[in-house]
Amino acid sequence: MERQITLIALFAALIAVLGLVPQFTLASGVPITAQGMGIMLCGTVLGAKRGALAVLLFLALVALGLPLLAGGRGGLGVFVGPTTGFLIGFPIAAFVAGWIVERMRNTPILTAAFIGAVIGGIPVLYVFGVIGMSITLDKTLVEAALLVTPFIPGDLIKAGLAAALTASLLKARPASVLSRG
Amino acid sequence: MAPVQTANDRVCLKGVSVRFGAREVLRDLTLALDSRRVGIVGRNGSGKTTLARLIAGLIAPDAGRVMVAGVDVCTDRKAAIRTVGILFQNPDHQIIFPTVEEELAFGLRQLGQPKAEAREGAHAMLARFGREDWAERAVDGLSQGQRHLVCLMAVLAMEPRVIVLDEPFAGLDIPTIRALRRYLEALPVTLIQVSHDISALQSYERVIWLEGGQVAADGPAGETLARYLAAMQEVDDADADL
Amino acid sequence: MLTLTSEIRTPYHPIRAGAKLALLCAATVGLFMLDSLGAMLAANAAVAGLYLVPGRQFAKDGLRLLKPVWFFVALVLAWHLLTQDGRAGLIIALRLTAAVALANLVTMSTRFDDMVEVVLWLLSPLRRLGVRTAPIGFAIVLVVRFIPVLLAKARNLIEAWRARSPRRAGWQVALPIALVAVDDAEHVAEALRARGGFDAE
Repeated sequence: MERQITLIALFAALIAVLGLVPQFTLASGVPITAQGMGIMLCGTVLGAKRGALAVLLFLALVALGLPLLAGGRGGLGVFVGPTTGFLIGFPIAAFVAGWIVERMRNTPILTAAFIGAVIGGIPVLYVFGVIGMSITLDKTLVEAALLVTPFIPGDLIKAGLAAALTASLLKARPASVLSRG
Repeated sequence: MAPVQTANDRVCLKGVSVRFGAREVLRDLTLALDSRRVGIVGRNGSGKTTLARLIAGLIAPDAGRVMVAGVDVCTDRKAAIRTVGILFQNPDHQIIFPTVEEELAFGLRQLGQPKAEAREGAHAMLARFGREDWAERAVDGLSQGQRHLVCLMAVLAMEPRVIVLDEPFAGLDIPTIRALRRYLEALPVTLIQVSHDISALQSYERVIWLEGGQVAADGPAGETLARYLAAMQEVDDADADL
Repeated sequence: MLTLTSEIRTPYHPIRAGAKLALLCAATVGLFMLDSLGAMLAANAAVAGLYLVPGRQFAKDGLRLLKPVWFFVALVLAWHLLTQDGRAGLIIALRLTAAVALANLVTMSTRFDDMVEVVLWLLSPLRRLGVRTAPIGFAIVLVVRFIPVLLAKARNLIEAWRARSPRRAGWQVALPIALVAVDDAEHVAEALRARGGFDAE
């Protein structure tokens, strides 16, 4: 019980710390932040339920006033802005990523984690993000979707890194990978 | 055996100041170090760790310049990594790669060597220490002392002129410290050691005592260490770092 | 601990956190229901007024918290100008600004600990369903503890990289950072267990 709670807290902290990593800029000029990778990791390493809890914990702290989102953002304001859909999607993305890793028990972790990270981190997350943006910016879904497509290549890289990290963690610290516990 | 001294290996600080926010950690420091073995002592918070990082080029001074063997270690990082290496206190905060071979080869790759050459260099370094069988081993499986040795080898592989040691022996047992110290003393490079351990610095040529970001004493090891110890006896309990 | 709560005392600080949150919900719903330019302008003026009450420095800080919104405001205005529907764009932009600014006002005038209390209070009905809420408070404390520790360890490893490379730290540092992090979590879990843990309730 203690290990689970501390790992959940640790990964919530990890999402925050990844938000502090300076942005990369892809060749296309699109900035990518490492924070999305933290969301994926919560799912692939901790599994569906605990991964989602870690993300919810992170969001709770952001709502409570800690500047933990990439760029030092936080407070209640971020939940009313155009990125609200993504914030709602975060825990669901982690849940789906974790669910996939848990179900694909017989697949090597690297593959399962990559698939989980890609599906959770891209289509699932973006559905919520796009809906959120279309509501707050009063645009159609298609228009909102167009706004977010440049970020997809960066997310694929993040998914790859998350998968590699999950696999390495399973090898080095198997007790911490609750998704394959 | 008198070590060959080249004026070229000099570590020069000119009017160096470092500030962390409102706090001035080092104030107008000017030093010219050309001895082979230099020790730096001082209380916690005296600025010695900052000085170590300055010499390694990891911190930029807010004023003044830091030159090692003619290289501005802060701005010319490419030349700096060939010139000065640093060994930190905790190997777990230092080792980046999962296997010993990769860890040693990393520095060589950063020096511009192609992968195969870097691997050979790593193996050569391991052979020098009689540890060829460590190449494929996971760092995770090594003991604390063994990890310290890996860090030392990783730094040595890059053949720097100067090595900065930031309290390198903390947490190790006596025989291990002795063995590591023997390796270090045999090295022809310049060693600059930051330490709380007075006995480690007794045999050094020059010791500098830093206090409050400035030089409190600077001279032959015996003298400076005696003055430092005397001052530490006088320090009240109330002045302790608690 | 670095929070977004403002150090400048405002007349809003003493108001109970729960009350502020309830008012915020109502105001936000109201904003999204109104649809006229006049209403939006009035709302923004009112919000600006609320910010100016504690003084210019406070208002400036509030403006800084709004920075991420400007991008979207610009985006919306540009879009709508291009589609020749500037008025609608202006309404959306104003609504967004007012809503976020109000939410930020609550954040700036409420202490972190008070917010945590509200959350735990909101969750207390769950206790009747058998859900234990104590670990939640604990988890919050743990995250706040882990963040600076993780940052320090990440910084150490990045420094170790920079000591041997002229380039910026690469993705390879992610694994050792994760390992020291997980090991630290294990130590904390051990310490918790040694002091009775969660099962001893």
